[in-house]
Parts: sequence; structure tokens; C-alpha cells
Amino acid sequence: MSTLVNSAGRPLSQGGAVTAPDQAFFNDLNQEVSDKGFLVTSTEELFQWARTGSLWWMTFGLACCAVEMIHVNMPRYDMERFGAAPRASPRQSDVMIVAGTLCNKMAPALRKVYDQMSEPKYVISMGSCANGGGYYHYSYSVVRGCDRIVPVDIYVPGCPPTAEALLYGVMQLQRKIRRVGTVER
Amino acid sequence: MTVLHSAPKFASNEGVLDTLSAALGSMLVSGKEEHGEVVLTIARGEIENALKLLRDEHEYQALMEMAGVDYPSRPERFDVVYMLLSYTKNHRLLVKVNAAENTPVPTVTTLWPNAGWLEREVFDMYGVIFAGNPDLRRILTDYGFEGHPFRKDFPLTGYQELRYSEEDKRVVYEPVKLAQDLRQFDFMSPWEGAEYVLPGDEKAEGDKV
Amino acid sequence: MSMQLEQSPTTTGEVVDNYTINFGPQHPAAHGVLRMVMELDGEVIERIDPHVGLLHRGTEKLIEHKTYLQALPYFDRLDYCSPLGMEHSYVLAVEKLLNVEVPLRAQYLRVLFAELTRICNHMLNIGSHVMDVGAMTPNLWLFEIREDCLNFFERASGARMHSAWFRPGGVHQDVPLKLLADMAEWLDTRLPTLFEDAMSLVVDNRIFKQRNVDIALVSKEDAIAWGFSGPMIRAAGIPWDIRKQQPYDVYDRMDFEIPVGTNSDCYDRMMVRVEEVRQSAKIMKQCLAEMPEGPICSDDRKVSPPKRAEMKSSMESLIHHFKLYTEGFHVPAGEVYVATESPKGEFGVYLVSDGSNKPYRCKIRPTAFSHLQAMDFMSKGHMLPDATAILGAIDVVFGECDR
Repeated sequence: MSTLVNSAGRPLSQGGAVTAPDQAFFNDLNQEVSDKGFLVTSTEELFQWARTGSLWWMTFGLACCAVEMIHVNMPRYDMERFGAAPRASPRQSDVMIVAGTLCNKMAPALRKVYDQMSEPKYVISMGSCANGGGYYHYSYSVVRGCDRIVPVDIYVPGCPPTAEALLYGVMQLQRKIRRVGTVER
Repeated sequence: MTVLHSAPKFASNEGVLDTLSAALGSMLVSGKEEHGEVVLTIARGEIENALKLLRDEHEYQALMEMAGVDYPSRPERFDVVYMLLSYTKNHRLLVKVNAAENTPVPTVTTLWPNAGWLEREVFDMYGVIFAGNPDLRRILTDYGFEGHPFRKDFPLTGYQELRYSEEDKRVVYEPVKLAQDLRQFDFMSPWEGAEYVLPGDEKAEGDKV
Repeated sequence: MSMQLEQSPTTTGEVVDNYTINFGPQHPAAHGVLRMVMELDGEVIERIDPHVGLLHRGTEKLIEHKTYLQALPYFDRLDYCSPLGMEHSYVLAVEKLLNVEVPLRAQYLRVLFAELTRICNHMLNIGSHVMDVGAMTPNLWLFEIREDCLNFFERASGARMHSAWFRPGGVHQDVPLKLLADMAEWLDTRLPTLFEDAMSLVVDNRIFKQRNVDIALVSKEDAIAWGFSGPMIRAAGIPWDIRKQQPYDVYDRMDFEIPVGTNSDCYDRMMVRVEEVRQSAKIMKQCLAEMPEGPICSDDRKVSPPKRAEMKSSMESLIHHFKLYTEGFHVPAGEVYVATESPKGEFGVYLVSDGSNKPYRCKIRPTAFSHLQAMDFMSKGHMLPDATAILGAIDVVFGECDR
């Protein structure tokens, strides 16, 4: 049968080319549901589909990047069309976007929020400050990269990254989730 | 000097220095007018009285800002600068006192409530003590921070850095270890008289082989 | 948020003591990284102790280790909602020490973009203030205006947010003619349509008024004593605007009005900002109409770099360019305090130079510092939910507050 999510079979590293939606795939799917009334798929694929489709992110706006992080949620870029909605509570969120300079005074709070998030959890490090200190690398009060505090899945470069760049980062995270099986046995 | 720049134009400084010098009398240590700013240096013990006089008699109603400056070569190494603003006269004034680490400056929280945080900041950054400030805690630096970061002898990268320790399951402090040091270039031109021995110059003085 | 009772409440007769809650440092209504330790008597705020410094990046110390030009982009990153407003104070301070003349076109361009920045900043603030008290829709519209502003910044400087476009001696690059034309069209069509539309939902809204009118009253005397500035002091009824009182660049040629509040509450603060947006649009239109042709940066080659075309043919230009971008320029010894009217209030730079190519000391006066300090006395006696309205009306951004 056809798959819900095109994880296998499609080459992963061909960025740039625009792929038109596979109409035959949708027709098959539609037929299957209307014929039988149910779908059959593997749990792994089901979980991946659910995870990539509802990346609720923790609003960890620290500095400048937070503004671009808000912009990506606003109508022009509308990140919610990817199922990524802002949450204010760590318990409800799946991904933390560390947007901005992480300072020494803030670092324990960042870790605490990360620890409160439920598994599976992902971290996107946004902007040069969160990636490695950036413009503030040599300061006495700045953590030289948020990966010293939490494990990071995706780094988005830029100072600040544009809204498109963050959007692309989220899509990269979805691709990573599809590629790396996360079901623990 | 003709004014060419387009920075904010407040009321003329003409006569301000003379009037205020006369009014402050013995409290004034020195006064100058440079780059279009009137700068008054006040004796440390008298700062509260002097600012009270300026506020009540000379219409400098607001304390907009306080800054510390560090000159390590001086015996009283710190400057504390008060930026005053007169809404009625539309004029700005810089008032300074000198201080050392062990010589407290009288607080001005009695005159302006917003001096509280401004003094806390100068204390945090330079270690200048303000006698009489009821809440002289650190304000900007990390909880448990040691030292006063804006002093010229405090290294830019500090002494401590943070890391999450998997073993301890918490964030730990460690001595700073940089992958690459901060690159500082020397722009002192040898033609303008460098203060150090230029490479090769030591041969002129040493024993000739 | 963690909650902890100072004394365990008992069952009969005894009075329940105040309890302390910790607001932040990660809270969506904190506008960044603010931690407030609140002492509450039921729902009523007794005392607030704001803990700032959670975004303290040591900017002032870093500036001491950079040349004057390298230090400029730090100012973008202070108040990241109004980057060019921050640069404005710094370049004026450097120019005051150098006493360098800025060509007229550059002054017009600076004022034009400073006002665009003001609109951009107020869109964010009004939107988030409105959202803090419960309305989502206006924010969506206001951010559409912000997107337009960011596109204009991008077309002028290449960067959406951190432009680094104001330079000592002028601006970095001239703007294309089409940009000015598009801006004029935007000011006539899109801005008023979107903005007035969104504001019609808010300004007379009953819920919005209930949440803001008569919240955090500040008298004129208090406003002066606490060092308020910008919309905060104007809402208190004092018509103080540095653009008008101490004009810089070409503000003395502009015809605009200063909105002033009557009641000095959160609603007035918000309405002052709403009116300022309209006045900013007016200033921008005047700039576009009056802007002369001419150079966009000083012709003093010791301060501003030569054109690239000149460098291809002139050895002297090449040397100037090389010296400026390696060593930078030397600034005469002295000290100045320059404050401009940033969208949030008086943003000042106290610059001490020792005659070298790096600032000896650069003290930044953040607008939010004195406002946030007054948080305690403004919210005393108000309910807990009012704290977010007060915080929203202060317009605090932690990049500049903590530096």
C-alpha cells in the first residue's frame, strides 16, 4: 500500500527542486478510505507523521531573534501551516527555539525549561549568539553557544536569521525527524 | 569653534559655568566647558548638597543617568558622572565626583528615587560604594558573580563560564577556556612613537656581535 | 511560575499572610527575560522586585575593545525593536566629538528612517500590549505593517533588522529612487488603511478600556523624579520631546505635533503611541517631499570611506579605505552625553574618548531602566493581571535595559 509520509524512497539531499504533489498518492489514499473505511500503515510512519505535523514550539525568545521568531508566526510567513504553533508552557511543547543571546544568568532557567519538556523533544538554536556566542562571544557574561547547556538538533545561522531562514530550519527539523527513527524499543 | 555637527541642540552654555561656579562655591573642585558640554567636578562629600542646590535653585529637575568611568592610573580611580537635565531651561549638565574603592560616595536616592538602580549599577560594574543607599545589591551581573566587570583590569572574557554537566545534572561553573583568544591589534604607528620596543630595536642596545 | 507560601495558611481565625510569586524569567507577557518577585495579598500586588540583567551581555565592555565603527552594530542589537533609533544617538555622539559636518541629504535620510523605525517599534509595542490584555487580531494586522517596514530597511541596507546603516559622517549607502517612491505610496495607502483599521478595533473597545484606563497613574512630579521619558512622560502631561526641544539632524525643519496625555494611565500611554505613529508618517512625508540631492556622507576622508569607484583610480582613496577599515578613525579626547528621542524615550550615549581609535568608555542610557524601576510604585495596589498591562505600556525591551 502507499505510505502516509514519503520518508523512504525519496532522495533526501536534493534541495531546491520543487516537487509537485503526487496526485496518484492522494487518489490511492482517498480510494482506500472510501472503500474500506480505514487505513493501514506502520506505527513508525504514523508517529513520524504526527510528530512532524504538530511541532508545537516553546517560545524561548531571549533577544533580537525573538522578533524574527514572532514574524514567522504572523500572517506573512504563517508557520502554523506546518503545524508549528507557539506554546507558552514547556509541558505542552515539542521543540524549543532558543532565539537570542543566552547569558550566564539565564542559562539555568533555560535548562530547567528544557528538562520540563516532555519527550520526544527537539531544540532549534536560532542565530549566531545561540549557535556560538556570535558578536558577544568574548563577553564575560555570555554562554558561548546554547549547545553547552542543551543538546541542539538544528542550527539556524544569521544575525538575526530572517523569518524564511527559521522556517527553513523548522522544515529541516521535520526532515530530521522523518529520517532518524525516534521510537525507542 | 564653529559647530558643524548636527547633534541635539540644547540651550546655550554661555554664562552657565560662571553662574554655577559662583553658586556652588567651595563645593566645586573644577569646572570646564568642552565639546559643548559643561562638566562640573564636585568634592565627594558634598555631592548630595551640590545636586540638591542644582535641583532646587537652578532648575535641574531630573537625573537622567549615572555613569562610572575607571582610570586605573589615578589614586582615586573612579569617576561617577551624573547627567542632569533641566526641562525648564532646556539644558544639560554633567556633574562628576572622584572616588576610590574604599571611599564611599553619598547617595542621592534622597533627591531622586530613580538614583536607586543607577547607583546599584555603578556599584555592580565598578565597585563604587554609595553610603546611604538602602538597597545596594548587584543588579545586572549573574547571581553570585564575583568582581566588578567594567573595571579596566577585569578581563573581557571574565574568569568563569557555564556548562551543563551530565554527571551532576545541573549547570556548573568552570574556569574560562577559549578555543581562540580575542584578537587585539596594535594600531600604534611606529612613526607616531610606539611605547614599546619595536622588533629588531633591541639589537641596537645589546652587545654587538 | 513557582508559588510558595511564606507561612502555611491555618484554618481558623488567623490571617493568611502575603505570599510571594515568581514571575518569569520565561513568561510570554514579560516581553523578554524579566523576572519579577511579587508579593501579593490575595490578588493585590503589595510589592514588586524586578530582577533585570538576565540579558546582560556586557555590551559596554565589548565596545571598549572595538573601534568606533566596529562598535556601531552593537547599538542595533540593544533595542532590537527600533535598531536605527539606537544608532542615531551613537553616531551623533561620535560626530559631536569629531565636530564633523553631515550633508543635508544624509540628515534627511536619517530622519526618514528614524521615523520609519518609530512606526516599526510602535507596531510591535501596541500589538503586544493589546495582546497582553487579551486581543489577538490587531496584532496580526500591525505585524503586516512591520513586515512592510522591514522590507524597506532591507532595501536600504540589506538587512531586515540590524541595518548598521547610520554611520559617523552620514549614512552607509544612498537609497534607490524607487524605494522612496514606494515609501511615499505606502504612507498614503497601506499604512493608514491597515493601521486605522486595526486601531478602530482597539481604541474604543470596552474591554481594552477596562483593562487600561486608570491603571498605574503617575503624577507629573513623579514622572520627573523617576526620570521618565518618551511616551511615558508625555502621557503624564508634560510635552517633552527631544526632537522638538533639542532638535537634531533636520527635525527643526519638520512640522509635527507632540501628543500629550491627560490622565497619565496605561491607556494614555498607548494612545500617545498611536498618535505618534500618525505624526511619524507626517514627518516621513515631509522628508520625502523636501529631500535634496547630494552626497550621503561627509567628504572628510578621515571619517567616512571613499566611494568604491574612486578607489579604482585613486591611490589616496585606497589608502583612506584601508586605514578606515583596519585602524578606524581617531576621535579627539573628551566626553559628551548625547540623547535622542528614541521610540521608547530618551536614549543617551555618554562617550568618553582618550584620543585613540577605540572608545575609552561608552555608557548607554537605556530608556527602560528608569521606567522598570518605577514598576514597584506604579503597580502597588493594583491587581495581578494589571501588571501585564503596566508592563506592556512601559514598552520595555531587555536588549537595551540589560545591555
